[in-house]
Amino acid sequence: MTLALAGVGYRYAGAAEPALLDINLELRAGEVVGLAGASESGKTTLCLVAAGLAPRAIGGMLRGRISIDGEDVDAWPMHRLSERVAMGFQSPTTQLSQVTGTVFEEVAFGPMNLGVPRDEIVERTREALDTLGITELSERDPRRLSGGQQQLLAIAGLLAMRPAHLVLDEPTAQLDPEGTRLVTDALAALATAGASILVAEQKTDVLAAIASRAVVLDAGRIALAGPTQEVLRDPRLAELGVTPPAAVRMRLAALAAGIDERLIGEALAGA
Amino acid sequence: MTLATTTAIAAVVLGGLIGPAVLVMIAVVAPALLAGVLGRLVRTSLFLALPIAISAVLVNVFFFPGGQTVLLRLGPIVATAEGLAFALEILARIMAISGAVTLFYLTTRPADLVIDLERRGVSPRIAFVANASVQTVPAMVERAAQITDAQRARGLDTQGSLWRRVRGIVPIVGPVILGSIAEVEERTMALEARGFTRPGRRTLLWAPADSAIEAAVRWGLVAALVALIVLRATGVLR
Amino acid sequence: MVVRWIAALIAFAVVTGVGIIGFGNFSTGIDENVFYDIEGANSFALVLAIASVVAFVVYAGVEYAQTRALSSITRQFDTRTIVLMPVAIAVNIVLGAAVASALKIPIYLDSIGTILVGVLAGPIAGALTGFLTNLLWTYVIPPPFNSGVAAAFAIVAVVIGVLAGFIGRAGWLRPRPNQPMRKLVAWALVTVALIVGMSYLSYLGYIAIIGPAGIQVANANPAFVILGYLALALVAGTVLGLLYLLFARRDLTATYVVIGGLLTGIVAALISAPIAANVFGGVTGSGTDFLVAAFRQAGLDVGNATLGQGLISDPIDKVTTFFVVYLIIIALPLRTKARFPQGERLVERETDTPADDVGWRGAAG
Repeated sequence: MTLALAGVGYRYAGAAEPALLDINLELRAGEVVGLAGASESGKTTLCLVAAGLAPRAIGGMLRGRISIDGEDVDAWPMHRLSERVAMGFQSPTTQLSQVTGTVFEEVAFGPMNLGVPRDEIVERTREALDTLGITELSERDPRRLSGGQQQLLAIAGLLAMRPAHLVLDEPTAQLDPEGTRLVTDALAALATAGASILVAEQKTDVLAAIASRAVVLDAGRIALAGPTQEVLRDPRLAELGVTPPAAVRMRLAALAAGIDERLIGEALAGA
Repeated sequence: MTLATTTAIAAVVLGGLIGPAVLVMIAVVAPALLAGVLGRLVRTSLFLALPIAISAVLVNVFFFPGGQTVLLRLGPIVATAEGLAFALEILARIMAISGAVTLFYLTTRPADLVIDLERRGVSPRIAFVANASVQTVPAMVERAAQITDAQRARGLDTQGSLWRRVRGIVPIVGPVILGSIAEVEERTMALEARGFTRPGRRTLLWAPADSAIEAAVRWGLVAALVALIVLRATGVLR
Repeated sequence: MVVRWIAALIAFAVVTGVGIIGFGNFSTGIDENVFYDIEGANSFALVLAIASVVAFVVYAGVEYAQTRALSSITRQFDTRTIVLMPVAIAVNIVLGAAVASALKIPIYLDSIGTILVGVLAGPIAGALTGFLTNLLWTYVIPPPFNSGVAAAFAIVAVVIGVLAGFIGRAGWLRPRPNQPMRKLVAWALVTVALIVGMSYLSYLGYIAIIGPAGIQVANANPAFVILGYLALALVAGTVLGLLYLLFARRDLTATYVVIGGLLTGIVAALISAPIAANVFGGVTGSGTDFLVAAFRQAGLDVGNATLGQGLISDPIDKVTTFFVVYLIIIALPLRTKARFPQGERLVERETDTPADDVGWRGAAG
């Protein structure tokens, strides 16, 4: 399934300036697209627009065309869209539904809302828990998990809805290094298995690990786009407010110190 | 739940002293024995009723207007026998109500109750509100405790005079309430992203069992209550 | 559709009729010193409230029977409101339990959430918030926060929510800062006059009830005196806050806060007094019991004692609550409150930003 944004712009309710302008983006099946940019550059807004939450859940004005497999989704109600595009947020705790007592029920929350038949819900839930590797947490209380575990729980809950596309807004932003590692590994596994993900991150290391394509936003417009390796090596990253991944920084530092380029390449390849 | 409510209402309707006492025996103690929670029941319902009981006794024993038979004199305050009688009546009634409510609480999980109601047709959104409220109360208290600690580290006085303590409440209540409300926006988005807006019923994973006997008992209780009210209103039962 | 409304109206009439007969003859004689019939009035208010609730239930029941769903009602609840309600209910319960058990002052502070939801989302949302608060408080919330008495007062909470909803809808809580001084002074005088007027009326009724012998209660109970000071401190705090709003921020809405609070408080007192009197003998385990005791010592029967206590505690409590709710609303950022069903009525009036380009559209659904 392909989710396509053509000429898309978005303005928050009551705002004078648009938060997004001229966005042309295609999210194809089976690829992971990374979204980078300074804070306030529009990453979260783009995620909200792609998932349909803007303007449906939060108001505001939209411009341009959003389509799934060619069909315009403008008139689709939110719950119908949520079966195709599922969005996860930064904060592990506010994504909890607050009405469930176990991890299992929490993951099942989405399909329950969608009216999926009971047996299928159980099957989907088991599958989602397995994919994220958290089956042993099934009977635990969601509120007592660590931040990283809660994010995995949130993603499992999204997967249980069997969306064609996952949109994740800075999933590791509020996690400690342990949690970040947990989530990154899980996402990498998902990527290898062929999931379609749009993931926004300040931590470009995460993007380098899992994304095949990358897009950099600047003040609501697309500034850079292309294969991840290329984009993350682009010298303009710094002025766009994005910190390049550690490997890139090391390389630049080594070059500046005068070390031969081939040696660097070998060293990094071995690292 | 029907048991608890009907018992409570019956306690009010019956009035007098004997009525509620008998009621407590039948409707509260017996089922508690059956469910094996009698000890906890007694302790918890006493705890629950204690503040009311103390107030009730004090107020009515000492301040019952028109009391003639003086039992005790403490300066200008006078305890009367009529006041005592009235206080005991109220006490019995309170015990019945608190016992019934505690029994309900001890034998029912809130989640079960809400799911049962949802299965019978209550809107999933209202069921959501009920469930979420039950979880939010302890969560809010925890948050308040955290904020209290943080404020104490910044010099908030929580042990001083009453005035200081009242003043100390504001820097805690403010962030708790405003913080919770600020989360509403994100929680709304997260819920909508999981299909919450779909109209109509949702699939329930499980529901508590119900048998014909239980249904019969329920209707029987309601009928008995109605009969009780009618009898009382028409003056047959004093 | 019409069937539902007719059914509801019939139910309303029936319950009112039964209530009137059940409570006996209403007029206990018009008291010359007071301009209304006290005992009759408060029971009647209760009956009306019950009748409204029954009518609503009948309406819902008929709709359910017709369509196996309650969509005309639940459609008014959007996700945002649904998410806010548990927070509001929790605030009600936590604050209410804390005040009732720990502070022992003659106010309740258990309606902040109800009024907040009513103002932001509407009368029915507010009513449901109040209803669920009281029900859950008794039947579901475990000790130590549990309250044995709350469920009986569920109707009072419902009415408070409805009133708050209409007050919000009428735009009473819209901030009106930077008013010219003369207007401010005029309104301030009106406010003070209102407060003084209400106090005077209550005082009159009070005197009429306990007879020309005057106030004997002050000496009876030392605890009462302390409580009185505490209540006074709270009232003073609220009054100071309101004055600050009026003069430092030149915000006219302070007056509306007072009016709304007084109105809600009086109605709440009228409805809750018969419940407190008949079901609990005037004693609910909170700080208000001492006030009731004081009134009873002065010779009042239970019904009038609880009414007297209510007419003192409730207006103070509700004005304070409305004040707190107003503070919350001011403190909320625009985008948080604007999307609520009644959100635009809480925002300062300003000129709209002109719509510029073509092609911008809002949400379709």
